[in-house]
Amino acid sequence: MSDRAILSVEDLVVRFKTRGGIVYAVNGVSFDVREGETLGLVGESGCGKTVTSLAVMRLLPKGSASVPRGRVLFEGRNLLELRESAMRDIRGKEIAMIFQDPTTSLNPVLRIGKQLTETIRAHQRIGRVEARARAEELLAMVGIPASGRSISEYPHRFSGGMRQRIVIAIALALAPKLLIADEPTTALDVTIQAQILDVLRELAKRSGAAMLLITHDLGVVASMTQRIAVMYAGFVVETASTDLIFAAPKHPYTVGLLHSIPRLEDEPTDLVAIEGMPPEQRREPVGCPFAPRCAWRIPACWTTNPSLRPVASSPAEDADHQVACHNPPTLEEADAGRPLRSGFGAAPGPGLSAPLVVPGEGGLERP
Amino acid sequence: MIALGEASLPTSGSGSAPLLRVRDLVVHFPITKGVLFKRSVGTVQAVEGVSFDLHRGETLGVVGESGCGKTTTARAIVRLNSSISGSIVFDGRELVGLEGEALRQIRRRIQMVFQDPFSSLDPRMRVGSIVAEPLRVHRVGTPQERRARVGELLEVVGLPRYAAGQYPHEFSGGQRQRIGLARALALHPDLIVADEPISALDVSIRAQILNLLAHLQQEFGLAYLLIAHDIAAVRWISNRVVVMYLGHVMEQASTAELFRAPLHPYTVALLSAVPIPNPVLEAGRQRIILKGDVPSPAAPPAGCKFHPRCWLREDLGNPPECEEEEPPLRLLPPAHEVACHFAERVLESAAQRRAVAWRAPTEPPGTNPH
Repeated sequence: MSDRAILSVEDLVVRFKTRGGIVYAVNGVSFDVREGETLGLVGESGCGKTVTSLAVMRLLPKGSASVPRGRVLFEGRNLLELRESAMRDIRGKEIAMIFQDPTTSLNPVLRIGKQLTETIRAHQRIGRVEARARAEELLAMVGIPASGRSISEYPHRFSGGMRQRIVIAIALALAPKLLIADEPTTALDVTIQAQILDVLRELAKRSGAAMLLITHDLGVVASMTQRIAVMYAGFVVETASTDLIFAAPKHPYTVGLLHSIPRLEDEPTDLVAIEGMPPEQRREPVGCPFAPRCAWRIPACWTTNPSLRPVASSPAEDADHQVACHNPPTLEEADAGRPLRSGFGAAPGPGLSAPLVVPGEGGLERP
Repeated sequence: MIALGEASLPTSGSGSAPLLRVRDLVVHFPITKGVLFKRSVGTVQAVEGVSFDLHRGETLGVVGESGCGKTTTARAIVRLNSSISGSIVFDGRELVGLEGEALRQIRRRIQMVFQDPFSSLDPRMRVGSIVAEPLRVHRVGTPQERRARVGELLEVVGLPRYAAGQYPHEFSGGQRQRIGLARALALHPDLIVADEPISALDVSIRAQILNLLAHLQQEFGLAYLLIAHDIAAVRWISNRVVVMYLGHVMEQASTAELFRAPLHPYTVALLSAVPIPNPVLEAGRQRIILKGDVPSPAAPPAGCKFHPRCWLREDLGNPPECEEEEPPLRLLPPAHEVACHFAERVLESAAQRRAVAWRAPTEPPGTNPH
């Protein structure tokens, strides 16, 4: 692992034109994926993590999506400026993608061997026999037993876990430098998830490929990643090494997430829920997107969007720790899950009486 | 108005008769072929001899992977399946075979909350009508009284009274789940059967609903039968846990007992497969990675249903019992039911210790486990 970034997303903005108006999906996102590392992109549905990855792959829907700002640097080249033909060479070969639902990412009317060899032969000049041998090798690598026979089966013959293994085999067919895995195990049962994570972890280690792992599951990121970027409402709100995010979270949203999940590793305690819900991103964001749900908010949070800055006075080894917050929780507050200073009381809008619904408007009330 | 179960106290229950007593529940679905003349070509053994007790005011969690029969069990209890056998005794009354008005009367005391808050609410009905529907169906109160009750119920689940005038699409997933809960509470049920009530929700919303479920249970003395695959959430809210695999109960015990010392190899593997949101613990963890997939319930393996994937069987050199005899659910001290011929070998094994060693590694470094 080195500190050199293989992928740099800089100030990326993505908007969608819909019948209901503009959706501000991604609002100036920046992060790096370094060579050989696995970066976790964590957030809830609608926070922009999948849209970000589609923007990297240039797979956003042409008609409705626009990218008014930002750069996506892959090995120094801005992918957003490449011609479509050049981009086609990068997809699959340099950057491969694994999606959540293995059922829809395989072609149901093609034998899996065909799907594998097709991928290989689209990018490499090799013969059928050689491609087939390579396909068998790949299937064996992801743990598909009796590859010789499986290769001529159709996808419906395989279970969800097996299909995801096949998808991984296809993704790895051309030894990509970067693998984007979008919720790769969300559709799977927990014992099958353990199998697939094991395969991914092993293959990432063996091939040295970098990985961008998109997930909402904090357990999965804890077990898979070296660094994490936490997203909320189209912003990266915190980024740090995985250890630091869990040991010393600095953003109120990260703190809230960590306190709102039941833990297997501790005796059951009260869950501190994050009250309210994420904003609908139909207005140009003003101020901090988390302010309506935040117990640490100060007046500036309503007006000024905090930029991602290094955490003040952090020791050298924490230099990577960046947070977008005007009033970050202290370590004690992060442990407690609530502000301990005077003047910061209860979190806004407790669940049992919150201003939850604003008909027609879709946003949350602001004071 | 209506006063059922409201006064019941959340007792520990072990002495009193259970609210719900399920014995040898069997649910089979026929597999049919042909268009005009449907003939049966086999059966899916969805649930096969499930037994458990649930006491007033308590929560019983049922965990297991897809196809293990947990949802079918839940639906059998609210009598949404027709072909069931065995015994389901609710508050002293046998439900199996019950029909007509008697069934209707029992049904108001057992309510269900579904997984998908998007498809379980009629999009063309206002929230007020949705919540009032059980009251209307069971002819409770005047329209005015019902309106007042709906307002009350919405407040109980943390929604504003004016939500009654809105349509489901105006609400987020978490809020819809609250609406579903308000509807379930309308008739003062004693038992709520909740099938994956939080799995469709976002992480930050799940805690809201879990807290609400716990709050409602305390307030109204409700019993929950909770079906979920999120094992940490089940542990958080349940008093007892049933672990199912391929239609069979593999293990059941009090929550504390099950998570302290899981005794079935499947439970051990299940717990060890859950990723822990703590990178330091994760780095030191050794998982049991099960081989292969869950077999089809249409063609379950002979003997122990788990034997083709069992790590313990392999460790013991593939003893023939596992393939030949189906292990009965048996009681191991202190109060732990487990269906494994070799459960004693799990006790104190390195694998068991590792599966529950969440706080600190228990093995000295350098020893080679397994």
